[in-house]
Amino acid sequence: MRRRTFLTASVGAASTALAGCITQDNDDGADDDDDEESTLTTPESFDGTLTVATYESFVDAPSSSPGEWVKEEFESMHDGVTIEWQIAENSVTEFVQRAQRDAEIDADVYLGLNVDDLVIADRELDESLFMSADRYGFENRSAIKDDLLFDPQSRALPYDTGYISLVYDENEVDEPETFDDLTTDPYEGTLLAQNAQSSDPGRAFMLWTVDQFDEDGYLDYWQELVDNDVRIFSSWGDSYDAYSAEERPMVVSYSTDQVYANRYDQDMSRHQVAFPNGQGYANPEGMAVFEASDSPALGFEFMDFMLSQSAQSEVAVRNVQLPSTDHADLDEEFDQYAHVPDETVIFSYDQLQGNLNDWVDDWAREIAGN
Amino acid sequence: MSWVERHALGVAAAATAAVIAVMFYLPVGIVLSEAVGIAPGFPPAVSLDAFAEVLSDSFYVGALAGVGADPFAVSRHADNVASWAAAFLAGEAGLPSFGLFGFTAYQALLSTVASVALGLPGAYVLARFEFPGRRTIRSLTILPFILPSIMVAIGFIAMFGRRGVVNDLLATVGLGPIDVMGTLSIVIVAHAFYNAPLVTRVTAAAWESVDARTVETARSLGASRRRAVLDVVAPQLLPAVLTGALLTFVFTFMTFPIVLALGGLRLATVEVWVYNLLGNMNYREAAALATLETALSLALTYAYLRYEARQAAGSRGANPLQRVPLFPSLGALRSPVRLGVLAYAAVVVVVFVGPVLSMVWTSVTGPDGLTLAYYEFLVQRQAEGSAVQTKPWPAVRNSLTFGVATLAVALPMGVAAAVVTTRKFRGRAVVGALAMGPIAVSGIVTGVGLLLGPVFGIPLGGGWRLQVTGATAIVAAHAVAAYPFVTRSVAPLLGRLDPAMVESARALGASRARALVDVELPLVAAGVVAGAAFAFAISVGEFDSTVILAEGSQSYTMPVAVERYRGRRLGPATAMGTVLLVVTSVSFVVIDRLGGRFERG
Repeated sequence: MRRRTFLTASVGAASTALAGCITQDNDDGADDDDDEESTLTTPESFDGTLTVATYESFVDAPSSSPGEWVKEEFESMHDGVTIEWQIAENSVTEFVQRAQRDAEIDADVYLGLNVDDLVIADRELDESLFMSADRYGFENRSAIKDDLLFDPQSRALPYDTGYISLVYDENEVDEPETFDDLTTDPYEGTLLAQNAQSSDPGRAFMLWTVDQFDEDGYLDYWQELVDNDVRIFSSWGDSYDAYSAEERPMVVSYSTDQVYANRYDQDMSRHQVAFPNGQGYANPEGMAVFEASDSPALGFEFMDFMLSQSAQSEVAVRNVQLPSTDHADLDEEFDQYAHVPDETVIFSYDQLQGNLNDWVDDWAREIAGN
Repeated sequence: MSWVERHALGVAAAATAAVIAVMFYLPVGIVLSEAVGIAPGFPPAVSLDAFAEVLSDSFYVGALAGVGADPFAVSRHADNVASWAAAFLAGEAGLPSFGLFGFTAYQALLSTVASVALGLPGAYVLARFEFPGRRTIRSLTILPFILPSIMVAIGFIAMFGRRGVVNDLLATVGLGPIDVMGTLSIVIVAHAFYNAPLVTRVTAAAWESVDARTVETARSLGASRRRAVLDVVAPQLLPAVLTGALLTFVFTFMTFPIVLALGGLRLATVEVWVYNLLGNMNYREAAALATLETALSLALTYAYLRYEARQAAGSRGANPLQRVPLFPSLGALRSPVRLGVLAYAAVVVVVFVGPVLSMVWTSVTGPDGLTLAYYEFLVQRQAEGSAVQTKPWPAVRNSLTFGVATLAVALPMGVAAAVVTTRKFRGRAVVGALAMGPIAVSGIVTGVGLLLGPVFGIPLGGGWRLQVTGATAIVAAHAVAAYPFVTRSVAPLLGRLDPAMVESARALGASRARALVDVELPLVAAGVVAGAAFAFAISVGEFDSTVILAEGSQSYTMPVAVERYRGRRLGPATAMGTVLLVVTSVSFVVIDRLGGRFERG
């Protein structure tokens, strides 16, 4: 691993806060990875700081973000270990950019990785950003549901999953049973969706239509949706705000929507979940240890903890997602309101690699070129 | 005379240039240079293919793609135009489409017209009439400018949406419903919401600097009221109106979050594409688009500055026109002018006050009617939030601190730039346009550039890197974004001053800086105060660079907190938005009151 020396110097005479910082890479070159394939051993005890980068709502959502619980629980299990959260404003993109420019990566673990994040990172970088989890002996890895494992190189392991579905207001529209329903008259001007270029659920919904209508047919389907006046926002937040303000009676969202509605005493008739064709598109969220991490064993230990029964039961509820393992013990209320589709749709890493960019690009040009 | 005093202006100009270089030109250069392929060798082979690809892609430029693909086939293009014209006249062809760039320019043009139309009457009312609350309203005209797009989007949906206030009102008189969300019209109204107050501000400031003696002279020479206004007042206002129009066009040409939040992807603009391409790490195409976008904005700025430079100098400063009471008596309300003012006030209530109040309303309504639960959430988060969570008070404190610091840095920067660019020298319009760079470059590009440059560390050679992050970096970035507004507020007034005044001061032994502070600035005080308010506003409203430079620290601001409090419910974010609204409103009133003292000397 690289060692760095830090020299601080204030930049600008009038600066009061720490502004400039001049650093130098001190590359010994001697200890660089020839340990590619070696197995990491679990030490007697762990210590030190583990920096976990994640998306903002995992630690800072207005509801009950799981970050604080995870930190306390893991620290109480390992005396001398401190978890430091790092909010990745730009998801994993920022770390890809850092790797491209030889800038420092000071996080050990990334939490909240999608299949498409991984595809993009691998496309952009010659060397993998993340380490294979095969190098560590996990206790709980076998509990992961097989259909959610999305990384053929086993770097990322899923800790929870969302299912993309439609959320609708049953006072205004009937439950849409198929994709074709959405292009018919009763659903004209009813659907709010998101941009597949910039939004996770938006991209998942688009991929779902690729699965449904093939890569030769999905654009025609979208043309019909556009003719039926679908509105496409750039983020899930924008579309859900519009849905909340009753601008339209249907939105592409997560199948756990009723958990929130129940938690905040909202009118359940406005929070109905529909799975067209009985399907839902799975959006597993993965975690992985950075290749640049100084303490990979601790990082994998943390991943193992995230897969443990207690964390699986707790994090899923707090993050309002579904567990990725079969040993989670969910409370009844959560079980009642977090819906799971009969059939899961998901594109594998291999299917997305080489296709994702074109599918998204063609789609966006089709919509905006109207 | 001390060395410092003699060289004060030079030092300020050099410091300005250094800050702009590190926090603007270098970061932006890093991103935009991605569009240019450079193959090593001597001389290095430079490839501009990325631009050629964009300019020959009909998705981006529509009917111009053929021209972009082969720009020198002039006669063929002329034939194509001629055959289209013939077909058009015969009614067989419609207007051509010019792709994403064409649509972006089209909506910006409509937005500019709407903003000027909505902003000018405001300037007239504020500059020419006296009424209770006039100064407060004038202070608050800057408010829309800083409101985060989420708040505006929520306010607009609550006001103009399917279940909005307007439709409720229309229903009571048996009209409607209107369905405007997702259309170009609502996007243009939102752009006017942001930019018409800008037009109002700059025009009102110019109106207040009109020398009343010029009007009196015209009248005493027998000109009618109307003639005096057309021949004397209008020419003095035109530069300000054009400044407002230019800024509006440039801003709406590079519009980003609001167009998607209200219009959706079908109304995508070039900036939306830049954002999405950057997010997908397609730097080459994004940089080519952003460069073209910037070139267009800079060209417009340059053209405007050429125009401004030709305006006659000779003003000896403000001797403002007297305001007349808006409501001298009840009977006066029947005059056409005052009825017009009332009608205008009604429009203002619908377009400006309505969305803001609607946003506030959502912060106090829950599933069971009125509630303070979302404000309780803010208090609870402040008291119990963990270290990594965003708390309301630090956000308020940071916003105010950065705002004041930005004001302190951007004022001298902007005035220095104004002084330099109002001097007579060859190429001054070029320097002037370059100094306006920060408003002509996409905010997204600047943000990504700050990340790739100062945040990651600028390589200095030998493995050394210069990293600039944290509070000071945020203030520097805000100051860079803000100083062009100070310059634009001050330069037109400065340019109109009679140069003889500075020359006499200098002949009497005053340094250039002393002449500026003692002679010129008091005469353009209105512009300086307007610039100060802008500087504060830019800092308080800034989002992209703040998030990037705050990296892991506790330097988040109010708009960042609003964004972080978003979730399934509208309440927490709108409650924080209301806090932002109150804090900034008070700040602007205070700035204008303090500034008013400075103006009166």
